[in-house]
Amino acid sequence: MPVSLKSAAAQRGRRALLAFLPALAFLASGLLAAPAQAQQKTLETAFGPVTVKAQPERIITLDEGALDTVLAMGLQPVGSVAARGGKDLPGYLQAHAKNVPIVGVTREPSLEAIFSQRPDLILASPGLEKRVYDILSKMAPTIVPTTPTTAPWQERNALYVAALGKEEEMASRIAQVQARIASLRERIEPGQSFSVVRWMPQGPMAMSSKMITGQILSALGMQGTAIADELGERPHSDILSLENLGSVDADWMFLATLNEQGDATLAAAREQPAFNRLDAVRNNRAVTVDGQIWSSSTGVLAAERIIDDIERFLLNP
Amino acid sequence: MKTSTTPTRDAPQGFWLLRPGSLSLLVSRRGVWAGLLLALMTALVGVGNLSFGTPSLTPDQVLAALAGAGDPFNVFMLHELRLPRLTAGILSGAALGVGGCLLQTLARNRLATPGIIGIDDGATAFAVASIVAVPTSLAPPMLALVGAATAAALAFGLGGGGSRGYRFIVVGIAVGALFGALTNFMLARTDIDSANLAYPWTVGSLNARAPSTVVVLAACLVICLPIAKALGRQLQLLRFSDAVAIGLGTHVRHTRLAILVVTVFLTATAVAVAGPVGLVSLVAPEVARHLTGHRGVPIINSALAGALLMTAADWVGRTAFAPVEIPVGVITAIVGGPYLLWILLREPRMTGR
Amino acid sequence: MSKRRGRQLLHRTAIAGAGLAGVLMFASMLLGAGNLTPLESLHALLGQGSEDHRFIVFELRWPRTILAILVGVALGAAGTIMQAATRNPLAEPGLLGVSAGASFAVVLAIYYGADTAGVHFGIAILGALVGCFLVLLTTQMRGAGNDPVRLVLAGAAFSSILMSITTLILLHDQRTADEIRFWVIGALGGRPVSNLQWAVPGLLAGLAMVGATVAALAAMSLGEKVAMGLGHKPVFTRILAMTGVAVLVGTATAAAGPIAFAGLIVPYFARRLVGPDVRRALPIAMLIGPCVLLLADILSRLAVRPYELPIGIVTACIGAPVLIAVVRSHRLPRL
Repeated sequence: MPVSLKSAAAQRGRRALLAFLPALAFLASGLLAAPAQAQQKTLETAFGPVTVKAQPERIITLDEGALDTVLAMGLQPVGSVAARGGKDLPGYLQAHAKNVPIVGVTREPSLEAIFSQRPDLILASPGLEKRVYDILSKMAPTIVPTTPTTAPWQERNALYVAALGKEEEMASRIAQVQARIASLRERIEPGQSFSVVRWMPQGPMAMSSKMITGQILSALGMQGTAIADELGERPHSDILSLENLGSVDADWMFLATLNEQGDATLAAAREQPAFNRLDAVRNNRAVTVDGQIWSSSTGVLAAERIIDDIERFLLNP
Repeated sequence: MKTSTTPTRDAPQGFWLLRPGSLSLLVSRRGVWAGLLLALMTALVGVGNLSFGTPSLTPDQVLAALAGAGDPFNVFMLHELRLPRLTAGILSGAALGVGGCLLQTLARNRLATPGIIGIDDGATAFAVASIVAVPTSLAPPMLALVGAATAAALAFGLGGGGSRGYRFIVVGIAVGALFGALTNFMLARTDIDSANLAYPWTVGSLNARAPSTVVVLAACLVICLPIAKALGRQLQLLRFSDAVAIGLGTHVRHTRLAILVVTVFLTATAVAVAGPVGLVSLVAPEVARHLTGHRGVPIINSALAGALLMTAADWVGRTAFAPVEIPVGVITAIVGGPYLLWILLREPRMTGR
Repeated sequence: MSKRRGRQLLHRTAIAGAGLAGVLMFASMLLGAGNLTPLESLHALLGQGSEDHRFIVFELRWPRTILAILVGVALGAAGTIMQAATRNPLAEPGLLGVSAGASFAVVLAIYYGADTAGVHFGIAILGALVGCFLVLLTTQMRGAGNDPVRLVLAGAAFSSILMSITTLILLHDQRTADEIRFWVIGALGGRPVSNLQWAVPGLLAGLAMVGATVAALAAMSLGEKVAMGLGHKPVFTRILAMTGVAVLVGTATAAAGPIAFAGLIVPYFARRLVGPDVRRALPIAMLIGPCVLLLADILSRLAVRPYELPIGIVTACIGAPVLIAVVRSHRLPRL
C-alpha cells in the first residue's frame, strides 16, 4: 500500500535535517575548536616541528633538566626516570616532588609504564635515539631539544619551558637568580680562580667551564683554568696525567662526586701524594660537592643550589 | 637383516617416510615432536608476553586488541609496544639460534658461538661510536650491522677464510678483544649521559627496536633458513671429519664457506636488532639437541629454541622489576651462565661434540 | 740444540733481556706526560732540579716503573706457566677468564662499598682462583687439554658470563658503574704505594709456586705417562701450577686492573727466543714481561699528552696483532 504523501514528505524533511546535522555539528565543533587551536603551539625540536597543547597536564620527564624545569614551575610530572645514581629521583629534587612515579631509568625507560600514565607531553633528553623517539611520539608530543650541553644554562631548558607555556614565569625566576649572582659577586673577593674536577684514581677529569657551574662561577667574576676553558664542546676532559696536576690547580677546587658522599672520595684522594701538593689542597680550599648537581644538572633549581653551595664555601672559608 | 636387492619401503626406526608426489622425504619423528613442543611453548610465552606488563591484559582483551577492537589504549599498547617487541624477540632469537647451531657444528665444538668470533663486539663498538663519538647520519642499528660485518670480514680475512678450521675463531677472538677495548675506551671518555644512552648496545636489549632493522632481519631469515636447511645434509657429514665428508662427496671448502656466510648474515642482522645477546646462540642449539637427540643437525629446532629463550628472557626482564627494565642480554646471561658452567663441568659424551 | 749451545743462548738472551729492561726502566723515569724535558728529568733523577720535578720523577714515575716491572714479571710468568700446564699456545690468563674472575671479584667489592683505590688483594686473588679452578676442570675433561680451541672458547665464554653478571650489578648501582668503567681498562698510574707493599709478597708467593712446578712441567711436555715414569705427579703439578698462576694474575689485576694480552705476548716472544722448554722460557719471560709493560706504559704516557691513554688499550692494540700472527704462522709454536 503506498505511503501517504504527507508522511513521505515529512520523512524526506526529517532525512534532510538528519543529513544536515553532522554538517552542523562539524561546523559547531569547528567554531568551538578554533579558540582551542589557537592555544596550541608548534615547537622546533631535534626531530622536526612538534605541536603541543597549550597547558599540558600529564607530563613525563625523561631528562633531569626537564624534571628540574617542571618542578621549578610548580608542576608535578606524572612520571619521571630515576636519577643516574639510583632508583629514586635526584636527591636535590626530592623535596620538590610529591609522589612522582618512576617510569624506568635513563638507560632503559619503560615504554609501557610511560604509556600507562597517558601523557600529553613527553620531555626527553637531547641525543635521544630516533627509534625510541618514533615510539614515544606516537604516545604524546615528544620534545627533544637541540641545544648542546655547553649552551648557556638558561637556554638549555628553554624548549621545555616553551612546551609548558611558562615562559614568563621562568624568565622572572631566572632574573631572580641573576640578581643573586650579581649580589654575590659584590661580596666575594675578586680575581680568584676555580677548578671543577672529577677525581679518579688515575688522575682528575676537568669539567668544562661551559657547564653550568663554570658559567655561574665565571659570572661571579672568577676565572677558570686553561684546560677547562679549552675543551670546546666536550663536557669534560680525558683523565689527566698525575704529572700535570698543575693544570687543574686553582684558588678554589671543587671535587665533584657522583652522589652526596663526598668524604670517601676526599679521603681516597688524600692518599695520593700528588693531590696533597696542590695549592688548593694546601690552602684547605679543596671541597667536595654533589656531582649530581655540579657536573650534570642544568635546571634553575640546580642553579639555585649551586649558588647556595658557592655562598657557603666562599663566604665562610 | 635383509639381503634382498629390492629397495625397502619402510622408513628406518624413528623416522617417517613422506612421499609427496614423486619426492621422498625422511623426517625424524623425534625432531618433529620436539619442534611442535618448542613451537607450542614459544606460542605460550608469546601470549604471556603480550598479556603481562604494565598493565596486564586478559587473553580476551589481547585477542580483541590484536583485531583492532576494544579499548584504544590496549590497541596502542599491543600494536605499538608489545607486538613489535615480541616480533623482534622471536626473529632475533631464531636467527641467533640457527647461527649458533651452524657454527657449533662447523667448528665441532659445543662452545663456539658467533659472538665469540667478534661479531658482537664489532657491532657494539660501531653502535657506541655512533652514539658517543662520531656524529654520523647513520643510525646506531645500521652502524651495528656495519660493525658486525666488519668484524666478521676481519676475522675471515686474517684467519684464512675458514679453510684452516680453528684459525679464524682465534683471530675472531683477537678482533673481538680489540673492539671491546675500543668500546671501553670510548665509554670512558664520554660523559655519563652519553654512556647511559649507549648502554643498551653493550648488553643487548629489545626495548624500542627500529622497525627497519627488524624487517631486514625478517628478510634475512626468510632467505637464510631454507639455505641452512638445504646445507643441513652436508653439515651432518662435516660433523665427523673432513676426510669422511670428502669421501662422501661433499665440497668441504665450499660448504664451509657457505655455512660461514649464512651464519654471519644471520648473526649480524640479529645483533643489529637486539644488540649483543651472546648466550642465546650457545644455549639454544643445546636445548634443541637435547630434545631432538644427537642424530642430526637441528636447524629448525634451534631457531624455535632461540625464539623461546629470547622471548622468555624478555618477559622476565620486562616484568620482574617493573618499572625498571632489565635488558634481555643480562637475563640470558644469568640463565645461560650456570648452564654454560654445567656444560663445562660435565664429561663430554662420545666425541664430545 | 746441544745443551751447551742452549745454555749459551739462554745466558745471552737473559743478558740482553735484562739490559733492555734496564734501558726501558731508565726511559720510564725520563719520559712522561708532564712538561718535563728528558734533560730536566735527568737532572731530577740525579738529585738536582726543582722540587716539583723531583716529585714527578720520584713520587710518580718511580712507583709506576716498579709496578710495571712487578706486573710484567707476574703476567709473563703466569702466561708461560699457563701455556705449559695446559699445553696450549693460546692460553692467556685474560683469554681463559682468569682475569675476568679477578675483575668480577673487584666489582663485587666495589659494589659492597670499597673504593677503587682501596680494594683488598685477597678479593682479587680469590676471584682469580675461582676462575683458574674452572679452567682446570676443563682441562681435566677428556681430550680437552689437547684441544687449543676448546680451551680458549671455554675461557671466552666464561669471561662473557662474568661480564654479564657484572653488568647486572652495575645496573643496580650507578656509582659502581661509573667507577668501574675507568678501572676496567687497567692503568698503572695513580696506584697507592700500599699496593706495592702487598704486591711483592703476592708475586713472590706465586713465583715460588710456579717455580716448584717447572721441572715437572718440562717432563710433562713429553707426555703424561713419561712424566709419571720419571717420578712426577701430573695432576698435582697442574693444580699447583694453576694456583700459582691464579696468585700471580690476582696480584697483577688487583694492583693494576686487568691488562689484556700481556700474558700472551710475553711467552710467545720468550719461546721464539730460546725454544719451547719451559725451564728456559720462564726466566726469559720474567725478563721480557717488564720490558713489554714498560714499553706499553711509556707509550700510554706519550701518546695523548697531557692526558694518558689507558694501558689496557695499548696492550690490546699490540696484543691482538701478535695473537693473529701467532695463529697465522705455519706452525704454532710448539710446547
